[in-house]
Formats: sequence, C-alpha cells, structure tokens
Amino acid sequence: MPKQLALAFPRKNFFLEMFTRDISLEDCVLDLIDNSIDSLVRTRNIVISAHLLDSDFNPSSDLENGSFPTIHVTFSTRACKVVDTCGGISREAALTDVFNFGHSKRGASGYLGAYGIGLKRALFKIGNHFKIESKTAHEGFTAELDLNKWAAHDTDMTDWTIPLKFIPGAKSLSKAGTSITISELRQEVLMRLASGAFEKILRDQIAQAYALFIDRYVKISLNGKAIHPNPIPLAQSSELEPGKEEFEDDDVKVTLLAGLAVRNLKGEWVHERAGWYVLCNGRVVVPADRTDLTGWGEASPLFHYKYRGFCGVAFFQSDDPLALPWDTTKRGLNQESPVYQRAKRRMSGLARPVLSFLNRMYPSEPAAELQERRLAEEIKPVDIRTALTKATSTFRPPIQATQKARTVMVQFKAKIEDVDRIRKFLRQPSWGASKIGEHTFNHFLKTEIAE
Amino acid sequence: MSAPRNSFLTVHYELRPAKQVERRMIIDALRMISLAGFPIDDYQYTGLGSIFFVDFILFHKFLGITDMVNAEHSSSQRRVVFNQPYDFIRTEFAQIGDVIPSLSADKKHLLWLDYDDILRRTHIEDILLAMTYLTAGSILLITIDVEPPGKEDGPEQWRDYFVSEAPNYLESTDISDFTKGNLPAINAGILARVISNGLAPRTNVRFFPLFNFLYADGHLMLCLGGMIGSDTEERYLRGSKLYKTNYVRTDLQAEPFRIRVPVVTRKERLYLDSNMPCSDDFRPTEFEMEPDDLAIYREIYRFFPAYAELLL
Repeated sequence: MPKQLALAFPRKNFFLEMFTRDISLEDCVLDLIDNSIDSLVRTRNIVISAHLLDSDFNPSSDLENGSFPTIHVTFSTRACKVVDTCGGISREAALTDVFNFGHSKRGASGYLGAYGIGLKRALFKIGNHFKIESKTAHEGFTAELDLNKWAAHDTDMTDWTIPLKFIPGAKSLSKAGTSITISELRQEVLMRLASGAFEKILRDQIAQAYALFIDRYVKISLNGKAIHPNPIPLAQSSELEPGKEEFEDDDVKVTLLAGLAVRNLKGEWVHERAGWYVLCNGRVVVPADRTDLTGWGEASPLFHYKYRGFCGVAFFQSDDPLALPWDTTKRGLNQESPVYQRAKRRMSGLARPVLSFLNRMYPSEPAAELQERRLAEEIKPVDIRTALTKATSTFRPPIQATQKARTVMVQFKAKIEDVDRIRKFLRQPSWGASKIGEHTFNHFLKTEIAE
Repeated sequence: MSAPRNSFLTVHYELRPAKQVERRMIIDALRMISLAGFPIDDYQYTGLGSIFFVDFILFHKFLGITDMVNAEHSSSQRRVVFNQPYDFIRTEFAQIGDVIPSLSADKKHLLWLDYDDILRRTHIEDILLAMTYLTAGSILLITIDVEPPGKEDGPEQWRDYFVSEAPNYLESTDISDFTKGNLPAINAGILARVISNGLAPRTNVRFFPLFNFLYADGHLMLCLGGMIGSDTEERYLRGSKLYKTNYVRTDLQAEPFRIRVPVVTRKERLYLDSNMPCSDDFRPTEFEMEPDDLAIYREIYRFFPAYAELLL
C-alpha cells in the first residue's frame, strides 16, 4: 500500500486572523521598534552587550555628529508609520529572511528580534495594506501588499511570496533606514485610537521598554514628540546600596539588583512602580511585577502594600536571543525557561533583606523612632548602570544599635465636644484633634511640671 | 516575616531531654558522615543560637566545627553577644532568611532551621532559599512545632490555617485528614514538597533524607533533615554506616523515629546501662519496668543526657 501523506500546510488566514490575537497593538509597535534597533546594531556594528550596562559608555562621536539615529512613530486614522534612520535592511535579507514566518535554524536572529514573527504580526494586526521602503547605504527595495488580495490566493507554497522592487540606496549610512507605512487600519485598531488613551499608553510603554536605549543609541518620537526614557526607579544612599548578584547560566548572563525604590515628589513610594523589572538584552519585558511570575508568594512573601518601597532589576543578556526567557510578545516571560526558574529563586534571595528592612519600617506596634525610616529618607535615585558598578554583595543596612526608644506615640480617645471646646478656647479653628492633644500635653508639661 | 519571639525568655533550652537526645543522634550521624569522607569539621554551621548556643557548643566540641554563624533576630543584642561561647562565632542580627542568600557557594554548609513555632509561610520561603543556595554536600535540618494551630480550634480551622500558610504544598484538603494525630504527617508532607520544589530548578543535585524525628519535651516537635548532593555524594553516603543506625530515616514522609525518654532514676540508669545493649527478652530483676519503656531506653541510652545539679 502506498504511503499516505496528510497535508500540514500553513494557512494565510491563520496568520492574519488568529496569530494576531495574542498580542496587543502597543506590543506590535514595540516589535517594529525592535526591528529598527536590530538594524542599528547590525549596520553600525554596535556591540550593545559590551556596554549596555556600562556607566562609563558614551555614544560614539559617529552617533553624535548630527546623525544620531532616529525612530519616528506616527499614528493617525489613515495610517501607522514607523520611519527610522537605523541603517536599513539589505536586499539579501529581504529576499530570504525578513518576510519569512520564523527564522530558519541557520538564520541569524537579531539582538532584540528573536523569533522572526514581530514584523509580520504587526503588519497583519494593524491594517490591510502596507508599504515598506528600506535603503542601506548601497541598495534599497520596496515591498507593497494588499493583504486581502494576498490572502485570497492560498493553494500552494508559491502563493507565499511577496513581490519586491529594487531601488537605489541612500548613499550614506546616516540617511539609510526603513520606512513602514500601514494603512487601511483595521476596525479594532481605529477603535483603540479613538479611545484617546492609546497614545499616552504607547508613549509610556516605549519610554519604559527602551529606557536603556533612548538617547544612548537612538532617539524615538511618537507623533512628533520626543520620548524621554523612563528609568527603572532604583534608589540608594551611601548606607543603603542595592544588593547585586551575577552569574552565567546556559549562555545567558544574569545580573540581579535589589534595593529600595525611588520616592515621588511628595516623598512617598508609589505602589504601582514597586516590584521586579525584568529585562532581556536591555529591553524591559516585565515592569514592576508583584506576582508569582517574579517569585512573590513563593520564595518571597506575597506582595503587600508595605513592600511598595521595593525595586528589583533582573537583566538577562545573551548573543542568542532565543536563549532568553522572554515569550514571543516580549511582554511576558517563559516560566518554563530553566534559566529563569533558577534566576527567580535567586531574585527572591536577593530581595529578602530588602523586604525584611521594609518589614521593620512598618512594625505591628507603632514606634515613633525607627532607624529604618531615617535611613530610607536619605535615598536618592540612582542610574542602574551606576548601581551595577559596585561589587557583588547583599543589601545590608547598617546594624541598628539597640537603644531605648526616646519617644513614644500617645493615643487616646476624646469626646468631640470636648475637643471642640478646647479648640474654641484656644481660638484655633483649623487645628486638628492631634494638634490639640499635643498642645494640651505640652501645656501640662510646661505649667505643672518643673524643669 | 512576622516579629520574632524570644523563646529563650520562656523556655530553658538546656533541660529538654528529648531535644538533647536528638542533638546527640544528629552528632552521631554527622560523625559517620565525616568518616564517609565529608569534611564536616570544615563545614560552616549556621543556626539559631538563642542565648544558650547549645548546638554550637556541641558541634564544636564533638565535630570540631569552627566556622559558625548565628542568626539572631532579637532586641537583646548585647546579651546575645555576651553569651557567645566562642570567639569564632559570627552573629548576624538578622532573620535566618536574610542570612541564607549570603551562604558562600565555596563552602559546604550545615544549616539548622531550628524554629520553635508552628509552620508559617516565612518558613517555606526560608526552605526554598536554602534549597537554592546550599551547595552539594551540605546538610539541612528543619525543626518545627507540630502541635495544632490554635488549641481551642478544631480540624476545620486547622485545615484553613494550612491552606492559608502552605496553599501549594498540601496533598489533600479533605477535612478527615486534619486530625490531631495526623498533623505531624501533614507538616512532614508540606516540608517534603517544599524541599523538592526548592530543588526542582537545580538539575544536578537531589535531596537525600536522613532524619525524621518526632519528639515532645512539651510541645510535639518534628525535625526533618538530609543532604543535598549529586550521585557522588550519594555514593559516599551509601558507603557509610549511617543506614545501619536505628534512627536514620530515608523517607521524610514515612513513620518518623520517635524519641521517647522514659522516666528512670540515676540508680536505675546505672543498672540498665550495665546491661546495655540488652537482648529482646531482658528484664530488670531489681525493679519493675514496662517492656515498652525498656525497648525505648535501649534505643536512646547512648544519647540520653544525664542531668545533675551543679553548684557553680
């Protein structure tokens, strides 16, 4: 009997309709920015891994001399555009790799682009028509496609091609780049744009995800306005430095930092910014995580409001982006990654003394004087690259000398009418109950008790 | 991570005979482990010394350990330092969980998480960290109180307690399992699963259980322990006399070794000791003694402390 073969073809409809459901619109835009940064890394031979976390690194004069690479993202109801001067895509890459779904085993992945799906997924998710024009210094190409028409032909593998047109190059590297225009936006994308909040959310996400890249390797703008990096909110003082641990695991270099978080202008810690920041090759993948994804409720306690002063940073770096623990949306982690499973426990270990410190700041019995509070008031924001320069150690607050507390909280209940009577007597209508309590206490001390 | 309790203010550590038998059995086992090729005298001992430092003194005297860290989280810091029996003990004024991540990867460790309270989330966190940081060849001991959580409460509240403290580590939440008599087994099951969860990301080592003691000097206490190691460590352990002892247990969830200490007078002890180790049918001719008590005595007499009043 002849061997029977079942068909196992890819179907365009799957890529156009299903494949695009697991990723948000914002993350699609971030995927396009990843591709631009990868072009930059490739065409300018930037070894990002060598100095991404180096506090002494300055962008080379080549980057500074008026030709700083840019990525301009614009969104309107007519089109979404991502235009960069990051060096462009070669014709060879366009012909054999860029439009494939996934890289071949031998195919080179980028620094931020790992899976070979981000570009296509973004094009399909956002609109029905795209035009890509890319120029290196020497050569260029354009590709233009109506997706509905392309999807209509899906009988064999010859339908899985995209026509390219060759055009001249940009002549200079500083002008070389890629321009992607997606038009005929999908209905759901138009709805997101109409919500009014989309631009702000996208701006915040770009500022956070590329905090280590923006103004260091590249300038990014959204709808004409420059995006400034939103740094990871790590803080330190001379007495309270973050703990640090580094190790290599399966071709991945892991660097962990755990310490206290930056306070806002009111001097308060912001709950939403607390937690772990996980970065893969410098791109923030998970910001401010307070769930079991980063060990809370496992080897760390469940996240509690009193831990809002915690900030941890986990860097995973590798020349092979597939070795990193990110998932394909780069907005989550592959929890099954052995490297991540091992790192997660060490993240909890490094966090532990910081959490103990925060526990001591908020004891169950109110205490008026706490060394921890004094120490925590002195912390200042620190660039994570500067924080990394110190030697491997744990977060170790100075040992608290045991001393008797010199102050104590005095709390008692009083009748509202009595407090009102005193307030009236003192002619201090704005004084609160505690101020009145303090005043009467001091009055007794002054008048009844001799020095 | 709740506030610490200074149990030494209420319990005098030195007069707990069952605990002392346990310590001596552990020392006996560690000497065999040492003879099997593990340099126990070079191990770092990390424990909770309280103000009595009983295990520190014994481990130094009988095993020659001189690298010792005491994790102490009390407000009586000067008192703790004053009572340190040896100069080489380094006291870290921190919770044990803060100290575990700093355990050197270049040393082998003997870590005793000698808790005196019932199982809490923070203990689970400590054990997970211990399984992350302890090097191959290191030994972990965990002691916890296995009395019911909340004396006045019943099985339903006990179940709720364990569900809240160890939600991911309970084999069953069936109310019929939460009898008083089954609580040691429930605790042992939780600890065993925490240990294997802690080691799961480490593909090159396993946990070799050695100790599973149950005893009561007042409260019922469970002590589990064993070695973290690879095939190499397992081979060394197999070559030792450990597995011939009556107290070693290779399964954390099997029947524990129950340390029971019969009430005997000094005169009776002298008589009994002169007949030890005795045959199964031996009976004292000079006084009455239940066969059960005699069997218990035979199991522990080598490790049984003698207490006497000293006028110092």
